[in-house]
Amino acid sequence: MEDFELLRNVTIGQYIPTNSFIHQLDPRAKLLAAGCLILAISFTPSILANFLMMLVILGIAWLARIPFSYLLRGFLLGLPVLIFIFVTQFLFMGRIEPSGHVFFEWGWFRITQRSLYIMALSGLRLISFVFLTSLITMTATTTELTHGVEHLLRPFHRFGVPAHELALILMVALRFVPTLAEEMEDIMKAQASRGADIGGRRMWRPDKAAKAYLPLIVPLFLNAFRRAEELVYAMEARGYVGGGGRTHFIQLQSHSVDYLVVALAFLIMLFMFFFPWPSLYATLF
Amino acid sequence: MSEPIIRLENVHFQYERPGEAPIQALKGVDLAIAPGEYVVILGHNGSGKSTLAKHLNALLVPTTGNVWVRGWNTRDRERWREIRSTVGMVFQSPDNQIVATVVEEDVAFGPENMGLPHDEIVRRVDWALEQVGMTPYRYRAPHRLSGGQKQRVAIAGMLAMRPQVLVLDEATAMLDPIGRQGILAIAHRLNKEEGITIVAITHFMEEAVAADRVIVMAEGRIQLEGTPREVFTQRALLRSLHMEPPPITRLAMALHAHRPYFPGDALTLEELVAALKRYWRGRPIAFSDGRSFSVAAGDSIIQYEDVGRFYMRNTPLEVKAIEHVNMHVRAGELLGVIGHTGSGKSTIIQHANALLRPHEGRVKVFDQDTRDQRTDVRVIRRRVGLVFQQPERQLFERYVGDDVAFGPRQLGLSREDVRARVRRAMEAVGLDFGGFKDRMTFSLSGGEMRRVALAGVLALEPDVLALDEPTAGLDPQGQNQLIDHLLRWRNQGETLVMISHNMDHLAELADRLYVVAHGTVIAEGNPADIFAQVERLQAEGLNAPAVTLVMQALVQAGLLPPEAMRIHRFDDAVALLGELI
Repeated sequence: MEDFELLRNVTIGQYIPTNSFIHQLDPRAKLLAAGCLILAISFTPSILANFLMMLVILGIAWLARIPFSYLLRGFLLGLPVLIFIFVTQFLFMGRIEPSGHVFFEWGWFRITQRSLYIMALSGLRLISFVFLTSLITMTATTTELTHGVEHLLRPFHRFGVPAHELALILMVALRFVPTLAEEMEDIMKAQASRGADIGGRRMWRPDKAAKAYLPLIVPLFLNAFRRAEELVYAMEARGYVGGGGRTHFIQLQSHSVDYLVVALAFLIMLFMFFFPWPSLYATLF
Repeated sequence: MSEPIIRLENVHFQYERPGEAPIQALKGVDLAIAPGEYVVILGHNGSGKSTLAKHLNALLVPTTGNVWVRGWNTRDRERWREIRSTVGMVFQSPDNQIVATVVEEDVAFGPENMGLPHDEIVRRVDWALEQVGMTPYRYRAPHRLSGGQKQRVAIAGMLAMRPQVLVLDEATAMLDPIGRQGILAIAHRLNKEEGITIVAITHFMEEAVAADRVIVMAEGRIQLEGTPREVFTQRALLRSLHMEPPPITRLAMALHAHRPYFPGDALTLEELVAALKRYWRGRPIAFSDGRSFSVAAGDSIIQYEDVGRFYMRNTPLEVKAIEHVNMHVRAGELLGVIGHTGSGKSTIIQHANALLRPHEGRVKVFDQDTRDQRTDVRVIRRRVGLVFQQPERQLFERYVGDDVAFGPRQLGLSREDVRARVRRAMEAVGLDFGGFKDRMTFSLSGGEMRRVALAGVLALEPDVLALDEPTAGLDPQGQNQLIDHLLRWRNQGETLVMISHNMDHLAELADRLYVVAHGTVIAEGNPADIFAQVERLQAEGLNAPAVTLVMQALVQAGLLPPEAMRIHRFDDAVALLGELI
């Protein structure tokens, strides 16, 4: 916890204005293309294919002129989750998926070709997901994203999907991320000034940590509720009564390049789905 | 008087509380506001003025009685959209009223809700941003703006709905002096040029000086009403309502008490200077330094050596927060730090107790380098107590006593020692230990909560107490109580560091000042020398104390020699001017 700067390590949700051609795409195009790539990653059970997808994503980062080191920082934040998944799979996957060549066996613990394969695959996929979601928020402002989501969901309005409300919730949530992060920083600093052992050794013991976090959580929630109450007054004072009858200041415009990007992503997805990838294990050994 | 645009008739309002007696916030308010009027509603915290404000645009509806806006009763839900686009409202907290993540989209939020066509929204957004001077910032993210800029955005958001009335509900309470002046200037211009009716709610009387009508609230009722001069000259009554006249008026009153023929009703600097000129007798006078320094220069206990620090270091968003900061704190002095919002002064003060450690240069606290691995930062944090801005927002225990005891308990002291420290700390801020320790923390007034938070730091019994904007956001009574405590501690020889925007407070308190701008220290010296440089301070978005401004005007008029600019304390000014009129 280097000096209470919370926002420094959160790369998801940080817009990096390099003004590349990726940045200038229509947010709907970005979301749709990202959706295609996520589907491609999720449903292609080949390590080689996922490795290629990783290269595609790094290529996008290069096109968007996002420093690779910065992309990695967000990955480091997700590292504990990744390690947790990795360890769990290492311990149990050999039993759950007993097929394939057995490399090692000791009691109930077993390492098989299949379990190694799954571990490698899920690792690759998770890293790709973290990179891709980080890339979206680095190349699209939160407003672009909310407008993108609202426009994409609008056709489903007739089926009862509250497109506007969802977009508004998203917008307000994103709007308050930096505000609440700053608030949390202030509370941490203030309690540390009063002698609280924030980030100290005891934070690792769950029973002590819960008590140590109380001086942070209680004020954070109280202040968040107070903000919410004031925000409701402010929104009502501006005549907000829900989505009905509202008009829109921002009108999204797509150009041919946007269609091209979505088409390309769609083609990549199809390619990943239908290419005759080598059989399951061949790619690993 | 033309047909009122807003009319309140015997309005009562009570806040219901589950399981407890309801709070009577308004107890029979009658009020009519005419189109084009500039009305200021004054009152201390808890006087009912903000509750009254929320009745003006149907955010609250009276328990009994009626409110009409352009003839629409606010009880009529069907009219709320029209009522709210007629009466716009700007609230106290700059952060909590901005909805969108881009300035221009936030301004568009109201017109979008009104269902206006796209072209009309664009026209209104352009116009509203122009009105508040925020056009260059239209694509910015609101959280990167200063408080004053956020409030301008909030005003633009209201203007875009083309309201006939603009209610400012303590909209300047959280701003620095420049931010406040900017908002007031906009309000007056909108009133004069656009004919928009302004209702401004505040606890600062200086904001009421240029109003058409002043209304003073207390106890849920209107206590006093009239032109600013009519209201401000009711001194005894105002004091009983916990209202504090502006510094200029207080100076006039003090001179009046000294020389009864001198009029005590000046509201503005110009009026006071005109009165002084009229009654000037101008006998020659010898100048002393204005103040003898009671504090012998003690040992330097905190040193900053060429300190620099980045924000968001090693990311593409890296910015330099402070650089080349050289300063020191001496034992037994009250050190003032002044600078506009965003100048870096909070970042600087957070280095004093090792909350932040320098990226460049070094900070030594009691001869220990805060970057040294062997330095125990918890010891430094205990010896240098730091009180944050709005520290009451960091309270978390149900009972006052427990909250104050949080720090001492972390030190592993015995129950008796903790209790003794809590008692001493609470008594130091004027909270009776027996009476307050078992009170519910969140049922206290704003001023009381601030003092509880202060006691929480004092209970660590630090050697240095550093305070970041200790009086900001408090009503005048709360401010005066806090200043009295600071003055007492100063005179007891405590070491204090205080960041403040309030130059009148620092003029009375500080032994020495640092001026911070653009992330570095640009001037250091005793208050007499610093405040005498009025133009330089104003160029940095700061101001000088009211006393210095009066002196400056008299020097410029040739009535006083330039040395008079060094006078900055209230009593010194009264003593000097009293001899000259």
